[in-house]
Amino acid sequence: MANLPKATIQGLPSLKVTSPDQIPEAGLQLEADVLVIGSGAAGAVTAYELARSGARVLVLEAGPHIPSSEFEEHAPTALETLYQDHGNQVNTTGDLAILQGKCVGGSTVVNAAACFRAPNQVLADWATEHGLENLSPEALRPYFERVERNLSVHQNEPHEVNYNGRLLIEGAKKVGIPASPISRNIRDCALTGHCVSGCKTDRKQSMLVTYLPWASELGATILSGTRAESFDVSGRRVTAVRAVATDAAGKEKPVQVRAGLVVVAAGAVQTPLLFQRNKIGNSSGQIGLNFACHPSLAVFGEHENDIYAWVGATLSAQAGDIENPLRGGYLLEAGMVGPVITSAWIDGGVGSEFVEFMQNSKKFQAAVTLIHDHNVGRVYLDGDRKRIDYDLDDRDFESMREALRGTARIYFAAGARRVYLPTTRKTTIESADQVDSVINGLQNGKHRYRITSYHPQGTMRMGADATKSVVGPNGLCHDLDNVYVPDASLFPSSLLVNPQITVYTMASYISDQILARA
Amino acid sequence: MRTKLYRRSFTKLTVLTGASVLVVPACRDDAVTPPNELTLTSDERDLFERFAEVFLPTDGSSLKPRAEVPVVDNIEHAFTLMDAPTLEQVRIGLKLFDYGAVLIGLHFARFVHLSAQRRLDYIKRWEDGLEIQRGISTVLKKLVCYGYWKDIEAGRAIGYQGPVSKAGGIASLGNAPMPSATNG
Repeated sequence: MANLPKATIQGLPSLKVTSPDQIPEAGLQLEADVLVIGSGAAGAVTAYELARSGARVLVLEAGPHIPSSEFEEHAPTALETLYQDHGNQVNTTGDLAILQGKCVGGSTVVNAAACFRAPNQVLADWATEHGLENLSPEALRPYFERVERNLSVHQNEPHEVNYNGRLLIEGAKKVGIPASPISRNIRDCALTGHCVSGCKTDRKQSMLVTYLPWASELGATILSGTRAESFDVSGRRVTAVRAVATDAAGKEKPVQVRAGLVVVAAGAVQTPLLFQRNKIGNSSGQIGLNFACHPSLAVFGEHENDIYAWVGATLSAQAGDIENPLRGGYLLEAGMVGPVITSAWIDGGVGSEFVEFMQNSKKFQAAVTLIHDHNVGRVYLDGDRKRIDYDLDDRDFESMREALRGTARIYFAAGARRVYLPTTRKTTIESADQVDSVINGLQNGKHRYRITSYHPQGTMRMGADATKSVVGPNGLCHDLDNVYVPDASLFPSSLLVNPQITVYTMASYISDQILARA
Repeated sequence: MRTKLYRRSFTKLTVLTGASVLVVPACRDDAVTPPNELTLTSDERDLFERFAEVFLPTDGSSLKPRAEVPVVDNIEHAFTLMDAPTLEQVRIGLKLFDYGAVLIGLHFARFVHLSAQRRLDYIKRWEDGLEIQRGISTVLKKLVCYGYWKDIEAGRAIGYQGPVSKAGGIASLGNAPMPSATNG
């Protein structure tokens, strides 16, 4: 087991992770009460909750274990080391970057710490359309409260709202759009602006510094760099999982785990692929379908004075109507990252105009948009290759246009002299009275926008009807007696808001369901 | 086998005009660069250099001089991070962009051989072009931006702070304490 620097802080739980280099060449044969595949938001919470009940828990994580002391606060390095496909995961069309963490702690290590509960309207839709009356706001409230308490979730204090965030709030109030400081899972934020490269000083309460060390402290075993590949199946039970650990020299070592219960929490892309690869659990034909991802656009507003939007909390404030996602509500989040991301988010032109754009980037007000998109995508295997089919639906494009319109209005109200839109060719709005004409002129289409997804979801749909869904209301797969899915893949429809709190909550809820059934 | 792979993928990209079908097979031998070759070919290095010259002209600006940043080497590093099918697609796109100037652009010369002004105009036409042209021009821009802004000092030249915790002596808080039994 690796000994990490943080473990030396007396009195705090330590995270012990076995790396592939520590596994013998002949491999390992292990037994556990519960095998958890994936160590991100869902896997970590489930591992802790079940370890807390006394179960012998084993966690397999495909990504590496990178202690926070090794984070470099440098986005290109973080993309390379902490993200799925080194940050190169895209849709089949190639015009949507889909960012997910691939490391011990998963996406929670590289997210921007924004915390929202699932909107009531979405939960009501899940009840009426998918038979999930058990997931009412009232039923989930104690679970939301528990994870929020455990993760130090709080609304940003005034000192955590940077100039960029204050501009969003001020502009939004002037045009009548609700706005406020955002809530985050963070303790004593050092305001470095490096959330998405991993929090080097352990202020962000990711799974790397919370539920995973807590599970570890309670005896859970965690293997990094170990990818689950195949299931041994007997009737309606998975009896063992075969995995491969790849060490630093590239040597592959077999790992076999026999477990009474299997929890697949590999995220909305990898979880369905694992089921598809093993051809199980899919009597409904729904595995991999219903992919949604909150396609997100960045918008910049250029001001006369310097703003340094990248200084301070990565996400500081929010605006929009998050209570009405099903009626076109959108969410804007004030935030900006360094120049690699800045230049990837927005096309600033070519030649001298691009140089001027980058020179002026410290004058940019910046925010990203989120919408409640429809579940029109699909994740599947094409031979051995992962495919993510997802193109922006025309209905969602209208929501996106509304979000862009709202952002531009806010920016001009806040004093911007120009607004940059996230098209693949430089597009600006030069004054408030041009907002409608420019936004109305935008068309949906492939490779027209620079779109990023931070929130894949929906590919293992939860529902009461086994013919229309993969996972039942308690998280158990309809077709299997001992396999649960607690990650974002089970969301029947997209949330609109950042999903981490809802994932933690669902994982807590499903853990209780598992224990109640045991 | 490699040639077969190359051609199969190429057919997916030929939603352009028929002209592209004529252009790409007429490229030099490295048109069939093995898709998993992780070093840039001389054609690819030329393309990125000529593209960066007009896309990111740092002379006379407050930006760090491009010549002091290993832009193309950094892009080569980015190639090592792509899986083979993605890399193959990118390479085909680069080829199409460079040689597309011959017939699609009606310049009768590769992009790398055009004057600076013509290169600039060519990029702008691709930004406004068909789906595949928009996609390829965006990939080129993103790669050049990655290659340049990967340099921490290039970021500092525009006021970006770069890494701060170590220099600022910000202490780690360590792992969070275990929740109390009553909290869960």
